[in-house]
Amino acid sequence: MKKLIFFILFSSLITSLASARSTGCKEGNCDNGYGKWVYTDKTTYEGEWVATKKHGQGTETWPNGYIYKGEFKESQWSGIGILFFPDGSTYEGEWANGFMNGKGTFTWSDGKQKTGIWKNGSFQE
Amino acid sequence: MEVSKNSFKTLSEPVKQFGGLVGIIILIFLTFFVLNNIFGEGDELVAKMKIEEERIAEERKLNKLISSLPSGVLVSFDGTDNFKLSDELYEAVCKATKLIPQRAIMGANFLNFRAHEIYTINGNKIDETFVKWDDEKNKCFAGYVVSGNNVGVDETVKVSGEALSFLSTGIDTRVYFIKNF
Repeated sequence: MKKLIFFILFSSLITSLASARSTGCKEGNCDNGYGKWVYTDKTTYEGEWVATKKHGQGTETWPNGYIYKGEFKESQWSGIGILFFPDGSTYEGEWANGFMNGKGTFTWSDGKQKTGIWKNGSFQE
Repeated sequence: MEVSKNSFKTLSEPVKQFGGLVGIIILIFLTFFVLNNIFGEGDELVAKMKIEEERIAEERKLNKLISSLPSGVLVSFDGTDNFKLSDELYEAVCKATKLIPQRAIMGANFLNFRAHEIYTINGNKIDETFVKWDDEKNKCFAGYVVSGNNVGVDETVKVSGEALSFLSTGIDTRVYFIKNF
């Protein structure tokens, strides 16, 4: 029984260490400069960092297929950027506080497009 | 009466014992019959058990199928390097899936600012998730409900859309992309 408990604890420790090693700043400078950060769920950000925040140009890739390429401000999607949805749809345009805000074009995977003003992720008719 | 009493007395001991045993068995059967009529659910219970057995059999079949799928992202659309589900597999995976991970919810929240706000204010808490196969539309729908107090107002928002991709962990499957646009 003691051996089993020891084995479970040891395995947990090894798994935690392996997990910790595979996350965090993997390349470059993630404080001030250009670097690649890997999150625990395998989301990655590769781009510019200012004062440990995502700031400037960068690419954030989510494990479920969302990819944002563009400007970041204070770690949020802000400025000009393009979001690729997992099914191939895209939104290209202005962003603010992590949402589609401003002028932009949404293109569905079948090619249909909608261009106009967006506010907090909603198209303004 | 007297004659039958006497004839019973004349019976041998093993025959009397056998008769007693048969009598007890009949009494037990009668007792259960009466109790079953009073408290039992009869055909209704049998029908319920059959439905439950069918559900268990269906679940086993789905679990076997899920464990045979490759680990990773499973999609129902073209144009990616991920494993493409056939129509039959898409339906089966949909019916077997119950979980929706955080990234899928965050993705769907892009197009629902109110849901995003409540989700953030409440520390990423989700009230309810659902994954349903729609027989009429032949599509899988998934969603979630968030509720909470947003700037003094109690709000409940339900987000729903087509579940177009799944994550297979080798043990279970999870909705990975909800297309709510």
